[in-house]
Amino acid sequence: MTPPFASCVWLGIRIRLCLLPVSAAIAQTEPSALQWLQRVYAATEKLSYSGTFVYQQGQQVETSRITHVVEASGPRERLETLDGVPREIIRTGDEVVCYLPASLTVKIDKQPGRRPFPAILSEQLKDVSENYTVRKGEIERVGGYSCQVLALEPKDRMRYGHRLWADLSTGMLLKAKTFDEKNELLEQFAFTQIKIGGHIGRDQLKARYFRESRDWRVEDSGAKRANLAEAGWTIRSSPAGFRTVTELMRTMGGTGGVGHIVLSDGLAAISVFIEPATSKQPAPQPGLVRQGATNVYMRPIGSYWITVVGEAPAESVKYIANAVEYRK
Amino acid sequence: MKERLSALIDGELQSDSLHAHLGRLRADPELRGAWDTYHLIGDTLRGQISPGIADRVAARLREEPTVLAPRPERNPSRRLGWYAMSAAASVAAVVFVAWTASTGWRAESQLAGGPDAATAASPPAPIALVSSVAPVGIENYLLAHQPYSHTSAMQGIAPYGRSVAGERGTAGK
Repeated sequence: MTPPFASCVWLGIRIRLCLLPVSAAIAQTEPSALQWLQRVYAATEKLSYSGTFVYQQGQQVETSRITHVVEASGPRERLETLDGVPREIIRTGDEVVCYLPASLTVKIDKQPGRRPFPAILSEQLKDVSENYTVRKGEIERVGGYSCQVLALEPKDRMRYGHRLWADLSTGMLLKAKTFDEKNELLEQFAFTQIKIGGHIGRDQLKARYFRESRDWRVEDSGAKRANLAEAGWTIRSSPAGFRTVTELMRTMGGTGGVGHIVLSDGLAAISVFIEPATSKQPAPQPGLVRQGATNVYMRPIGSYWITVVGEAPAESVKYIANAVEYRK
Repeated sequence: MKERLSALIDGELQSDSLHAHLGRLRADPELRGAWDTYHLIGDTLRGQISPGIADRVAARLREEPTVLAPRPERNPSRRLGWYAMSAAASVAAVVFVAWTASTGWRAESQLAGGPDAATAASPPAPIALVSSVAPVGIENYLLAHQPYSHTSAMQGIAPYGRSVAGERGTAGK
């Protein structure tokens, strides 16, 4: 007995659906390029380094100093901006403290959704290879180091392209560029000077504003994992390749009960903030704002504001903002 | 300082810091500009705006798409509230667009594309100050998003240096 025609066709479709994305990924992405990407992630986590880097977007260039030390208790990191508004960031484990002397504010944020390295890695690399074509490029010099160039080309228009420069001997990321759909540069980051490994004094990790900030205003995000679908909030559909990775509840700018959903395609992340509109705050402007590779889109839903933030094209950010729904 | 300024406008400052701030206000023309703009926002929210602005806001509102709320509104007065908020937002929006043009932020809302946007945005000097309203708000979202960004996975906290860029215009005034 032969199986009915329809089920044969269905079986065929199912096989094709299963095989296509994987074979497409294997056909284009070089496995050695993926291994390089893995090295970059590991280097960020495992290496101790100290240096100065610049961020450039459009006409703007900002310089910062960074120190990252891996201790037995985990990594500790300090960043200090050297241009423009002073700001200092200290990260210890999954806690980030921002000192903002211009507004006399200390912001504390925990990342309960951040999964420990390297648990997240294999999953992330799989997503990356499905959404981007990863290729190895030339060897180029950055900050005195010979670097392997890696190109991450998006497979559709819902994400940006990237070019990375990683130190040949350690895998440390020394330069990164982000490109838009027209292959125009959106922003770049590059170390101008860096010391990798060796002794890095603990005093370089000390918070400059620690003492001074004792009478500053403290804003604690109080971020906790949450089930926002249970509260009635869902994202009807997301752009291909993006999936929800974490859901949180936090306090933002003095407003409590702000929902935070994070979506990722393995590389680019998009945050959705759902916040009750309060009469105290000035009404935000609906629409799109862009800074470098980051797009921010705001829209009201009833008595709530939806704010979507991501290093992704405006199209993706808008798509997600418009897919947010309240159903109860 | 801007926060202290709005506390001053709201009459929430203690008398000793009040004197210090009034002194600073006298000495700093930029802070005085902010003072004027804050009052303009306050007046707008209370409906005491000049006829010229009212006309421009009304014209802008006609061009805006209707806001669709997913939940049925039971209380009609709340809808009116939305309308008023949206009017205030439009005024702020014009100002915000002007500011963004000067500091690397780009706003591409319905308003920015409106035929009046260019003319409304033309006098940049006094307008530049209100910007603290919008970017400071956006700053919070950027900071909260940062740890989940791919850049954090590959660059540690380096990308936090980036969020500063948009803050430049509001430095320690």
